[in-house]
Amino acid sequence: MNNIFKFAFGIFSTLAIAWLAFVVGARIQFGDLQPTSSFLEEDGSIPKNADIFPQALSGIAQQGAQEYVALGCATCHTQQVRLVDSGFDVERGWGKRPSVARDYVLQNEVNIGNTRIGPDLANVGLREYSDEWLHQHLFEPQSLIQESICPPSPFLYDIKDSKGEGLIEVIAEESTRYIAPSDRANRVVAYLQALNQDYELPEMGFVEEEDTSENSELEVASVPDLNSSQLPSWLADQISSGREIYKKVGPGGGGCVTCHQPTGLGQPGIFPPLADSDWVLGDKERIIKVSMYGLMGEIEVNGLKYNGAMVPPGMPMGSLTDQQIADVLTYVRNEWGNSASSVSADEVAHVRSTIKDRGAMQMWTAAELNTAEQ
Amino acid sequence: MNTSSENIIDKSSKWVVSFFVASAGLWLLAAAFLAYIAAAKLTDPFFLSTFEFFTYGKVKIAQANAFVYGWGGNSIFAISIWILARLSQCEVRGRFMLIIAGILWNLGITFGLLGILDGHMNSHEMLEMPNEVWPLLFVSYSIITCLIIVIHRSRRIHETIAPQWFILASLLWFPALFIIAWNGLEINPAKGTVQTVLSMWFGQSLIWLWLTPFALGVAYYVIPAIMGKPIDKYYLAIFGFWCIAALAPWSVVHHLEGGPVPMWIPAIGTVMSIAMIFPIAVASTNFHATAFKDIGKVWDSLPLRFIIFGTLSYTFSSYIGVIFSLPAVAKLTQFSIINEFHFNQRVYGFFSMIVFGVVYHMLPKITGKEIGKTAKSFHFWTSAFGVLILLLSYLIGGLTHGVLAQQPSLDWASSVISSIKPYFLITEFAFVILGFSQLVFVVNIWKVLVPNPFEDFSKNKKFAGKGSTA
Repeated sequence: MNNIFKFAFGIFSTLAIAWLAFVVGARIQFGDLQPTSSFLEEDGSIPKNADIFPQALSGIAQQGAQEYVALGCATCHTQQVRLVDSGFDVERGWGKRPSVARDYVLQNEVNIGNTRIGPDLANVGLREYSDEWLHQHLFEPQSLIQESICPPSPFLYDIKDSKGEGLIEVIAEESTRYIAPSDRANRVVAYLQALNQDYELPEMGFVEEEDTSENSELEVASVPDLNSSQLPSWLADQISSGREIYKKVGPGGGGCVTCHQPTGLGQPGIFPPLADSDWVLGDKERIIKVSMYGLMGEIEVNGLKYNGAMVPPGMPMGSLTDQQIADVLTYVRNEWGNSASSVSADEVAHVRSTIKDRGAMQMWTAAELNTAEQ
Repeated sequence: MNTSSENIIDKSSKWVVSFFVASAGLWLLAAAFLAYIAAAKLTDPFFLSTFEFFTYGKVKIAQANAFVYGWGGNSIFAISIWILARLSQCEVRGRFMLIIAGILWNLGITFGLLGILDGHMNSHEMLEMPNEVWPLLFVSYSIITCLIIVIHRSRRIHETIAPQWFILASLLWFPALFIIAWNGLEINPAKGTVQTVLSMWFGQSLIWLWLTPFALGVAYYVIPAIMGKPIDKYYLAIFGFWCIAALAPWSVVHHLEGGPVPMWIPAIGTVMSIAMIFPIAVASTNFHATAFKDIGKVWDSLPLRFIIFGTLSYTFSSYIGVIFSLPAVAKLTQFSIINEFHFNQRVYGFFSMIVFGVVYHMLPKITGKEIGKTAKSFHFWTSAFGVLILLLSYLIGGLTHGVLAQQPSLDWASSVISSIKPYFLITEFAFVILGFSQLVFVVNIWKVLVPNPFEDFSKNKKFAGKGSTA
C-alpha cells in the first residue's frame, strides 16, 4: 500500500479481472456473430436460398441512425424487447419476440438505451405508421397524442401556411399548419421505418400469442394461430370469430374480456375463471342460458365461491345472436388449455326455445340453473 | 506538523486550488441551469422547443457531462491536490503546469458540451462528448494526475492512510477505464451489443470507481480532522477499500437484465451488487461510529454536517441500490426514471454534498477568509431539502413508472406517462431550489477566491475620506 507502483498494480489488477470478463470475454463469446437464416439445416449450415437476417439498413436509414443519436432520442427510447420472463414487452406489442445480440451486429450505432420515458422502438417499423404520421409526430407529437411529453422538433421542418405539393398537414388544437420535411427529417423517418425484428433466428423464435391485450398491433398479424390452423376450417372459423366476440368491448361484441380477463382467469372472489372451469367444460345448457340472460349472486366454481354479477352479455345487453353465442362458447371451451366439444347455433336455438317465456334482463342464479339441470 | 508548515503548504496550493474550485463552481451552475431546462421540458414539452440546441435529449446529456466532468473533475483535482499535499507535508510543485492543464481540461469540456448541443453527440454512455475533445481531456488529465502523484511521492511520512488510498485509486482508475472504453469503442470497435456492454460498464464504473472512492477518501480525511478523533474501527478501512476495488467493477452491469446480451452478464452484476453490502457497511461503520460519538460537534460544524449528510445518503441509497439490483425488482424498475434516482443520489446526494463540505473546510485555510455563516447555513438547508425532494420524487415516481409499465393493457402515453407527470413537476421544483442553493454557494466561494477589485478602492476611499476630514 505504501509503494505507489505496487498499489497501482493492485488496483489495476482488480480492474483487469472485470475487463477480462466484460470486454475480452464478451468479445470472444459474442463479438463475432454473423447474420444467419431463420432455421438451420441439421448440420448447422444455412439452407440454400434462405434469406439471411438481420439485414443491413439502407443508406438513408444509416444516416437517420446518426441523426437519432445526435438528437438524443436514445435518452428516452430503448430499442430492446426483453425476455418474456423479464417483462411484458411482447405482450405490450413492442415486438414479436425478445431481441437477441445477433439483431444488432450490422448496426454502427447500437441504441439499445436504458430508459423508457417513450415507448420501445425496436420494432417501430412494424407498427404500420405511415411516413406522414411519423413526420407529424416528429414535428409535434402532441398533435397526434395529446398526453405525449416527447419534445417537438419543428426545426426539422419548413412551416407553410397554405396547402401545397408534398406538404404534410398538421392539425393542432387551434391552428392547421403545413410542413415540408427537411432531408434530416426524412432520414430519421427512414430509420424508424427500417427498425424491425420481424424475422426468426435459430436462437429465438416468435413468441406464440396467448393473451395479448386487445390494443396490440400484433394480434392482426398473428391470426390464425398455430392451434386453430390444425383444426377443421369450420371449427377454426368458429373459434376465431368467438375470440373476436370475447375481446370486443363495443357494439356487436361480448365484452367478456373486461371481467374474465384476457387470461380467462377472472378475478378471485368476484369473477370466476373460465380456464379449466367445471362450469365451462361441463353441461352446455347452463352456460348457454348464462350467455343469454347473465347471472347474479353466489356461484361455486372449481370449489371456490364467487359473488359478483354478470349482466346479459352483448352490446346492447343480451343482444348476442344464436350464432354468436355458439362461437364465443366454442372459443372459451377451447382456449387457455381448455378442450371440449363445440357449441352449434342449433343447440343455442333449442335452449332459447325452452326458456322463451323468461323476461328480458332477468338474470339467473346459480341455484336456479343447478336445479333445472337436475 | 506545526501550524507554520501547514501554512506554507496551504499557501503553495492557494492559486491552483482556487483555480480548480472556481471553475468547478462555474460548471456546477452550468449543470444546474441545464438541469432546470431539462426538467422544465418534461413538464412542458413546448418550452424552448423551437431551439434545436435545447432539445431534451441533448440538454439532459449535456447536463450529466457538465456535472460529472466539469463539476466532478475540477473538484476532484482541487481537493486531491490540497489533501494529498497536506498529508504529504509537502509543498505543491508544478503549479504552472497544473493550471495550464486545468485550463485545457476546462476548454475540452466546454467544446465537448457545445459539440453535444450542436448535434455531434456520441452514443456511448458518459462518452457522449465528440471524439475530437477526448485526446485533449486525456492528456490534460494525465498531466494533472502525474503532478499530484509527484506530490504524493515526495511525502515525508512513508506510511499511507485511507484517504490517500481512496483518492489515488480514484485518480488512477479513471484513465484506465477510459483507455479500455476508448480502445473497445473507437480504436478497435466491437460489434453489436458488445459495444453496449462496454459503454454501460464504462458509464457506471465512472460513478463507482471515480466519484465514489474519491468522496469516500475525502470523508476519511475530513471527519477525523474536524472531530479531532481517529476513525473508529479504522482497521476495517483496508478491507472496505479492497472490497470496492474487487467488486465495484463487476457490480455495474445489472441494468441489462433480460436484454440482448448473454445472461451471465446481468447475473454476475446482480451477485456482485449484493456483495457490495460489505464495503458499504465498512464505510458507514467507520464514518458514523466516529461521528455519532459526538453528534453535537457534527451539528455545530457546517462542513461536517455536509459530509455526514453525504455519507448517510451514501449508506441509505447504496442499500436501496442493492435492493433494486435484485432481478425481481430490476424487472420492474430497470427502464424507469429510477435510473435518475441512482444517478442523482450518487452525484448530488453523496459526491456533491461531500465536496461542499470539504470546500467550506478548506477555503478558510487557504485564503484566510471565512464565508458568511448565514450563507453557508442557507446553502446547507436548501441543498438538503432540494436533494431529498429530488430523490424522493425520482424514487416514488420511478416505482410508479416501473409498475405501470409492466401492465401491458395500459396505454403508454395516456396512462403510464401521465401518471408520472406530477413527479416531473416536483423534480422541476427541486431543481429550482437546488439552482438557488448552488448560486449562493458559487457566489460565496467566488467572493472568497477572487480578489474583489472594489475592495482596495473602497478602502482607499475611506482613507481619502479620513484624509479630507483631517
